[in-house]
Amino acid sequence: MLTFRKILFNLMAWSIVLAVAFPLFWMLVTSVKPGFELFRRPPTILPETWTFEHYWKLLSETNFLIYFRNSIILSSATTLVVVAVATLGAFSLVRFKYRGRESLAFLVLFTYLLPSVVLIIPLYLLLVGLGVSNTIFSLVIAYTTFALPYALWLLRSFMAGIPEDLESAALCDGATRMGAFRDVILPQLLPGIISTALFTFILSWNEYLYALVLVNSDSSRPLTTGVMNMLISSFNIEWSLLMAASVMMSVPLIIVFAFLQSYLTRGFGAGGVKG
Amino acid sequence: MSRQKTLLERRYAALGLTLIAPTVLIFSAVIVYPLFSAIYLSFYNVFTPTLEGEWVGLSNYAELLQSGKFWNALKNTLIWTIGSLSLQLIFGIGMALVLHQNIWFRSLARSLILFPYFISTVVAVLVWKWLFNDLYGILNHLLMKVGIIDFPMDFLGTMPNAMISVIMVGAWKYFPFVVIAVLARLQSIPDALYEAAKIDGAGPIARFFDITLPQLRDVLVVIVMLRAIWDFKEFDLIFLLTGGGPLNDTQTLPLLVYQEAFALNDMGMASAYAVVMMLIMLVFMIVYIRRTKDDEGS
Amino acid sequence: MAEVVFSKVQKKFGAFTAVHGLDLSIAEGEFVSLLGPSGCGKTTTLRMLAGLEFPSSGDIQIGDRVVNDLAPGQRDIAMVFQSYALYPHLTVGDNIGYPLKKRGVGKAERLAAVAKTAELLQLTELLKRKPRQLSGGQQQRVALGRALVRDPQVFLLDEPLSNLDAKLRGYMRVELVELHRRLGRTMVYVTHDQLEAMTMSDRIAVMEGGKLQQFAPPAQVYAEPANRFVASFIGTPGMTLIDGDLSQTGGVWTFNAPGLSMPVGPLTDEATAGPACLGVRPEHVSIGTGPVQGVIQVVEKTGHENIVIIGLEGGHRLTGRVPAPQSWSIGESVQLTLEAEHAHIFGAGPHGARLNRPHETAPLKTKHNPDKTKPKLQKAANE
Repeated sequence: MLTFRKILFNLMAWSIVLAVAFPLFWMLVTSVKPGFELFRRPPTILPETWTFEHYWKLLSETNFLIYFRNSIILSSATTLVVVAVATLGAFSLVRFKYRGRESLAFLVLFTYLLPSVVLIIPLYLLLVGLGVSNTIFSLVIAYTTFALPYALWLLRSFMAGIPEDLESAALCDGATRMGAFRDVILPQLLPGIISTALFTFILSWNEYLYALVLVNSDSSRPLTTGVMNMLISSFNIEWSLLMAASVMMSVPLIIVFAFLQSYLTRGFGAGGVKG
Repeated sequence: MSRQKTLLERRYAALGLTLIAPTVLIFSAVIVYPLFSAIYLSFYNVFTPTLEGEWVGLSNYAELLQSGKFWNALKNTLIWTIGSLSLQLIFGIGMALVLHQNIWFRSLARSLILFPYFISTVVAVLVWKWLFNDLYGILNHLLMKVGIIDFPMDFLGTMPNAMISVIMVGAWKYFPFVVIAVLARLQSIPDALYEAAKIDGAGPIARFFDITLPQLRDVLVVIVMLRAIWDFKEFDLIFLLTGGGPLNDTQTLPLLVYQEAFALNDMGMASAYAVVMMLIMLVFMIVYIRRTKDDEGS
Repeated sequence: MAEVVFSKVQKKFGAFTAVHGLDLSIAEGEFVSLLGPSGCGKTTTLRMLAGLEFPSSGDIQIGDRVVNDLAPGQRDIAMVFQSYALYPHLTVGDNIGYPLKKRGVGKAERLAAVAKTAELLQLTELLKRKPRQLSGGQQQRVALGRALVRDPQVFLLDEPLSNLDAKLRGYMRVELVELHRRLGRTMVYVTHDQLEAMTMSDRIAVMEGGKLQQFAPPAQVYAEPANRFVASFIGTPGMTLIDGDLSQTGGVWTFNAPGLSMPVGPLTDEATAGPACLGVRPEHVSIGTGPVQGVIQVVEKTGHENIVIIGLEGGHRLTGRVPAPQSWSIGESVQLTLEAEHAHIFGAGPHGARLNRPHETAPLKTKHNPDKTKPKLQKAANE
C-alpha cells in the first residue's frame, strides 16, 4: 500500500538525487544543443534541435582522438603494471613471513596517503634527468607513485579475505606455494583484481597534476590536460564542444557503471573505508 | 633460545621476498628516493629552467614561516578542508540514510549519486564552470528567476564567492564517498537492534541517535580522517576552478607548491612548502595508520 | 603406512610458546586424537606435522624420514580441515581430483579414482556441483574424499566434525572409525570434543597449555587420568574434585577435607602428607548409606539416569550418577559412600599428578590393536 507519506518521501529523495545529478544531465544536454540554442533566454531544458555536430567537430577538428588514444594507452599500461606487481606483492605481504613485512605494509599505507605535490618536483627532475620527460612512459612511471600503493592496499585487503585454509589445503594436496597461488588464490582473488584494476584505471584516467607537469606536447598529452588545454587555448570558449569532450571523456566510466558497478562498490569496502 | 629455521621456512621467506621485490624496487625508485630528494632539495635554491642550485640551509624554511603566502595558503587549506569535509559529511550521511530506505529505483539512485565521485575532476570543473557562467550559466538564470539575486553573480572571480563555490563543488564531487561508506555500514547494523528499540518505545529520532549514530561512529572516524587527508592535499579541483584566485584567496598549500616550482621557478622553496605541508599531514596520517594497525591487531 | 614421531618439538610465536618440547610417538596404523581445550596447542601440533607451521626446535618424523625440511606436498599426508577448505571455483569432482592432478596422474586414471572415491562416499550424484551448492554434511564428505583419493601415509583431521549438527556428527564418527579400520592408515585427529576422542581413538593425547598431559588409550585416560587436569577434562559430568589434606598413619593414607574423611590408597612413593586433591567419578558415589553426610541440591533427569548434585557439610559439592528410577527431592539429607577403591588422589596444584598406585591386574586394554590382527583391506579408492 502506498501511503501519502511514502510518496512524499520518494519525491523528496528523488528530487535530491536529481539535483545531485543535474550537472551531469546539463553536460549531456549542452553537448547536443546547437550553438545558438545555448544562449537562449530562458534556457531550454531539453534541446529543441538535437545535433551531434559538436561531437563530429571534436573528433575531426581537434586533437581529441590523439588524447583519447594516449589516455587509453597510459591508463592500460599503468593498470597492467600496477596490478601485476601489486598482486604478487599483496600475496607476499599477506601470506609470507619475513623480517620487515609489517613495516613494509605500513609504508604502503603511508605512501597511499602521501600528497602528489611532495613527490612531483623530484620526480620531474628524475624523469628529465633520465631523458624520458614528455612521453607517455614518463607518466606511467609517475602514476605508479599513487596507483601502486593504492592497488597494493586494496589487494592486500582482498587477499586477507581469502581463507588461509584454502592455500593450506592446496599445499597438502601437493601444490607448491606458487602452484597454490595459481590454482586456488588467483581464482578467488579475481573479483578483487577486477575491482582494483577498475579503480586503478579510473584513477589514471582522471589524473591531472602529473600530466600537467610532465607532458607538454600534444602527441603524448592525455585527455585531462588535453581537454583543459582546449578550454584555455581557445579564444572563444565553445561550451558545447567542451561538454561533448566531457561526455566522451566519461565514456569508459559510463561503461564501467553500466556493467561493472558491483566491482566498484566492492573496492570501496575493501580499501577505501575499512583501511 | 637460538632459533634454527627449517630449510622450508627459509625457502618460503626467500620466495616471499622475491615476490615483494618488484614492489620494493618501484617504491624505492619512485617514492622513497623522491621523498628524501624533496627534503634534500628544500635546503637548496633551485632555478627551475636551468636546474642549477646552491645550498642555502634552512633559509627556505625561515622565509616560509615569515612569508604571508604560507600562512595565507595554510588558512585557505584549512577553510577548504573543514568547509568541504563538513558538507560532505552532512550530505553524505543524509543521503546514505535516504538511500538506506526502500525508495523507488534505489540502485539507479545510487548510481546517479555515485557518479560525481568517479568522473574526472577536469570534467567536473568544466561542467561547473559552465553552470557558473556569468552570462549564460543556468545557475545565475535560476537564481535571478527565483529572485534571490537581481544581477548575475560572479561565482569564481570574487570573494567570498570563490571559496564558497570551490567548497560546494568539492562537496558535490566527494560526498558520494561518504554515502557509500556509511551505506555499507548501515546495511550491516542488525535489524534486531531496531526491533528491540521499537519494543522499548523508541521513536525514529531516538532510534537514530541511540542506535544508528553509535553504530556509525567507527566508520565515521575513518571517513573523517581519510577525507581530511585527501581534501587537504587536493590540487586538481581548486587549481582548475580558480587557479588559486582571486588574488590568492583560494590558494591552498598544494597550489602554492605548484606555483613556486613551476610558475615562480624556485624548486627549493617549493620543496620546503611541500615538506612542511607533509609534516602537517603527518599528524593525520599517523593517527589514521595507528588506528588501522589497532584494527588489524584485534 | 608410517609411524609419526615428535621429538622435543617446540613452537614459539614470538614470545608465546604454543607447544613445549613435545615428545609423542604414534604407531603405524594407529588412530590418535589430540584432545584439549582451545589454545592448548593441538592444532599447531597438527599443522606442524602437515608442514603448514614450522617447529622452532625439535624433529618431526613420518615413517623413517625427518620431515622438518619437506614441503607439505612431499610429506605424503592428506589433511581434512575444520572449514573443509574446498576450492570454491572447482566442481566436486575437480576438488577430489586435485591432489592427483598435482601429482601428475593422467586424466583418465584421475577420473576413475575420483569416481571410485565418490562412490565410496556417496558423492557420485554431486560430482558436477560446486561446493557452495552442497549441504554441510556433503561438503564434509567432499573434504574427506579429497583426502582419501590418494593413499597417503598419514591422514590429518582438524576438527572435521565440529561444523556438523549433533546427529550427523554421531553418524560420521562411526563412518570415520569404519574408514580407519578399512584403510588401516595412521590417522591423527584433532578435537576438543572428548566424546569424539573417546569413541574413535586407539590412543588419546591430552594436551593443555602446549604440553602433553597424558598419552594413553581412552579407557585408561578415563580410569587412570595422569593428573588433575586430565581428570577434570575427561568425563561428563565431570569428576568431583575436592581439595584437602593427605595424612599417613601406620602405612594407611587418609584424605581429609571439611565434612569428609576417608581412607585412600594404595599410593605411590611420591605421595607425601600435606595438601592434595581427591577425585571421584559420579558413578562411584553411592547414595543411601555411608559415612558422609550431604544434602541434595540439584537433580538433573536425563532419562536413563539422574545426575545428582549433593552439597557436603564442608561446603564442597559432589556429583553423583544413579539409574533413573532412583531420585531424591531437593533439600533432602542423604548418607553417601565414596568408593575408596575408585577414588583418585592428585598432588596439589592444577596439574597435580595422580598418586594412586597402578592396578595390579590392568583392567584396561587398548580398544583394538592397530597391527597384524587387523585385516588389511584394500584402500578405498585409489588402487
